[in-house]
Amino acid sequence: MMLFVAFVIAGVGTYLIRLSGILMLGGDREFPESVTKTLRLIGPAALAAIMANALLLDGGSWRGFGAWHIAAILAIGVALWKRSMGWTLAVGAASFAALLSLGL
Amino acid sequence: MTEPPSVPRARQLKSRPHIGRDQWSDFATGAKTIAPLDPGSFLFGLAFGALIQVAGFNSWAGISGSFLVMAGASQIATVEALRVGAPLVVAVLTALVINARFALYSAALAPTYSAFPRRWKFGLAYLMTDQAAAITLHNQHVYPDPVRRRWFALGASLTFALAWYAGTAAGVLLGPVIPAAWQIAFIVPLMFIALMVPSLRHRSELAAAVVAVIITLILKDLPLGLNVILGAIGGISIGRFVK
Repeated sequence: MMLFVAFVIAGVGTYLIRLSGILMLGGDREFPESVTKTLRLIGPAALAAIMANALLLDGGSWRGFGAWHIAAILAIGVALWKRSMGWTLAVGAASFAALLSLGL
Repeated sequence: MTEPPSVPRARQLKSRPHIGRDQWSDFATGAKTIAPLDPGSFLFGLAFGALIQVAGFNSWAGISGSFLVMAGASQIATVEALRVGAPLVVAVLTALVINARFALYSAALAPTYSAFPRRWKFGLAYLMTDQAAAITLHNQHVYPDPVRRRWFALGASLTFALAWYAGTAAGVLLGPVIPAAWQIAFIVPLMFIALMVPSLRHRSELAAAVVAVIITLILKDLPLGLNVILGAIGGISIGRFVK
């Protein structure tokens, strides 16, 4: 139930964000440069924070080194090399499965 | 509240059987242009749906997220936050911080949509995704006529969303048969790596990401998922000083 409520509120908020520029801007009005720069940094910062929390921590303590770390390093390497979301997912998932089957 | 805007349009489609062949052809072109990205949308939805089950949440609540929020990264972050016991306000704030990037697309699309009727703006805003926004912006010069352009935008946005809904439903169905030994929760960090790393280009973005990771880890003992929010805010604040 809590999850549903969270989705309802986040859904309304996200919809208003999606409408913001379409309704308020238009002609020749634009966001100020400082706002644009902050918006650009939100993606990398928020995604990196969640990634670190999910990858390196497990319920508040450090995750033991193993398949998670190795597969993530491989995925990051491929992401920087290929600059492709599809390749990153494919290599990350395949290497994780291989590492698990090796018993890591 | 997220859905009503799309409802009148659906009704309008039905009540207007004389929608021209050209409109459908522009719709189909939009659908075809985004088609290579549809499997990604489906698979991301699949991962989200499966995660709902693994995290022990209600399937319907999970599926509702794909319709209400329609933004995968933020939905996974919401599930993850509630799973580790964060309060509602932190879970919602995390989602909104991640989705703040849509304000950028919305601003970029404003001139593209400016000649569209209001109900189209409301409907297309609901269907806005990273991928559909990119495809629409990239192809807008092909459609100087706003009527043709809006059908192209609808074709790309709607079909991509349908792949997302279908993937979520498939994931919820498959979730219970996935063995725990597969540790499917790995999809959370992997998804965020796949979304973030390929688009890291500017030094300020790299700095924001690295600082966010460091602060999130230093503050790991904070309760309620606060380390993630503070990590993100810290990364943004430091990134702003990097030229």
